[in-house]
Amino acid sequence: MNSIRVRVLLTLLGMLAVVAVVMGALTYHNVLGETEALFDYQLRQMALSLRDQGEIAPEQASTLNDEQLDVVVQVWTVDGRIIYPPRLRSDLPSRARLGFADIAVEGKTWRTFSVATGDRVIQVAQPLQIRQQLAADAALRSVAPLFLIAPALALVLWWLAARALAPLQRVTDGVKARDELSLQPLPTGGLPDEVAPLVGALNGLLQRLGDSLGAQRAFVADAAHELRSPLTALKLQLQLLQRSPDDEARAEATRALAAGIDRAARLVEQLLSLARAEPGTATTTTHTMIGLVDAVRNAVAETQPYAQARGTRIEIDADAPVLVQGDAAALTVLARNLVDNAVRYAPPGSRVDVKVWNDAGVPTLRVDDAGPGIAPADRERVFDRFYRHAAGDESGSGLGLAIVRGIAAQHRAGVTLEDSPLGGLRVVVRFAE
Amino acid sequence: MRLLLVEDDRMIGDSLRGALRLEGHVVDWVRDAASAQATLSSERFDLVLLDLGLPATAAPGAETRLDGGLAVLRALRARRDATPVIVLTARDGPGDKVAGLDAGADDYLVKPFDLDELGARIRAVLRRQSGRAESTLVVGGVSLDPATRQVTLNGAPVLLSAREFAVLEALMQRPGALLSRAQLEDRLYGWGEEIESNAVSVYIHQLRRKLGADFIQNVRGVGYSVGASSK
Repeated sequence: MNSIRVRVLLTLLGMLAVVAVVMGALTYHNVLGETEALFDYQLRQMALSLRDQGEIAPEQASTLNDEQLDVVVQVWTVDGRIIYPPRLRSDLPSRARLGFADIAVEGKTWRTFSVATGDRVIQVAQPLQIRQQLAADAALRSVAPLFLIAPALALVLWWLAARALAPLQRVTDGVKARDELSLQPLPTGGLPDEVAPLVGALNGLLQRLGDSLGAQRAFVADAAHELRSPLTALKLQLQLLQRSPDDEARAEATRALAAGIDRAARLVEQLLSLARAEPGTATTTTHTMIGLVDAVRNAVAETQPYAQARGTRIEIDADAPVLVQGDAAALTVLARNLVDNAVRYAPPGSRVDVKVWNDAGVPTLRVDDAGPGIAPADRERVFDRFYRHAAGDESGSGLGLAIVRGIAAQHRAGVTLEDSPLGGLRVVVRFAE
Repeated sequence: MRLLLVEDDRMIGDSLRGALRLEGHVVDWVRDAASAQATLSSERFDLVLLDLGLPATAAPGAETRLDGGLAVLRALRARRDATPVIVLTARDGPGDKVAGLDAGADDYLVKPFDLDELGARIRAVLRRQSGRAESTLVVGGVSLDPATRQVTLNGAPVLLSAREFAVLEALMQRPGALLSRAQLEDRLYGWGEEIESNAVSVYIHQLRRKLGADFIQNVRGVGYSVGASSK
């Protein structure tokens, strides 16, 4: 019963029924009023003409006596003796009331008009039922076409509804034909204005789904591709270990294998960070007010062993508390990637500066290093995942800045790359006020 | 055999070089396309192991599309240099294989690969290169199996050091051909290895001692050969 077609059809039939009833009632009422006036006039004329005529002629009498006749005439003397008709009928009003009157006899109502002459009382009567019958017939006649038209209307409406709803069926077929591999937009041509916005919204959804799926597919493909290098290294390192002819070579191969495992583990960890930071794959974490300084200090603490191993000094300038709306764990990952990159690319024994402050109300994180920096032409591309701007000795995953950008985007923060006074790269992260 | 390894990944390159050295090859390793081009245009190698997913150049800020390996290969073949090339790559689509082979590669290995397979393919490519179908080299009563690194003299196994083996393999690959002392040194030493002044003479001496004095001929001032007189 939830079909639009059935609902429209039932509504139409209901409305037709109401119209029929109203029309019938009006017609009945009008016709009844008209016939009343007409018949009353007729009764009165007949009675008056009988009075003026005096006697009822025999031929007239036989006509008047016709049982089929609607009009019955009775004539009395003034003292109540019946003159006409010769046979008294018990179903007729037995007494006359002058003028118009409705008289009930044996459950039947008569409309009478009586007039008195010098010695007689003449009454002309007609069953009231006849008038009602006439009015009802007229009402029925006026409503009848509606009942004839109703089935035709219903058929036409059924067909119209099917036609109007055909685009919906086409849209349904189109949506059914879509799957995760074919998310091209549904055709919008020839759609009624009522359906077009729905299809437009659907196409928007398909577009977003397609983009998201495409991004995820590209991410998985990239990730699988990138995992090949560390896995190839691991496999070679293991085979080399198995082939090592002496203890010295075995020790060297073991050390290389351990480094290979570290590298693979780091790549997997970075991939997970990126998966969490990528738009579209992001899980909505609750953002609360957190201290940016604490997140950065945690990140620096995590990077400290690596920095010490390279003899690099990390200097933090973060005295005043800086509050940002965000996810503390994600911001620690962001800061750790920046500091880790700085240490990784800075020459061993150099300095990395980390500064956190409110820059005119804008929470800001800045990391400076003395590394090779990034040429202005490359500063957009280095944010692409797996992009390495130089084949250096550094075993970077090529994911660090992609992770930074992803997390920054989640926090509506901007990341800019500049030249550092230390000679290398300066990364500035500005959060929303 | 003297191999050039072109591989940008430090760990992979390190391990590959170590493993190939264990197999008795002399391995030189470059890490970017520009160095590979320069090396290949100035030096001769028996075989090149070429990573296709190579930064085109390591110069900072330069274009780093990952088809540097293919460019190296095309340039090599454009110079009509027939040095055998085995392509190593992480890309395993059929299109990539076709592109690599059509650009002039002799064989194709997809990472991660097995060292045994790599060794076998290197031997197969070298065998085809020298126009032989059988894998064992036979000159006179001496036979040398590059796969098992076994040498026999009239059916009896002969024990050789890695460098003795390398010298013998070089000579037996082209029976009758004269190899100069410098050519043999190339087969023995990679870059940065200090060449002992009379090393080749020492290994030739050892080989003659083990395989018979007249197995290796010496044309004074020109070089050494095997099998020239054994018609």
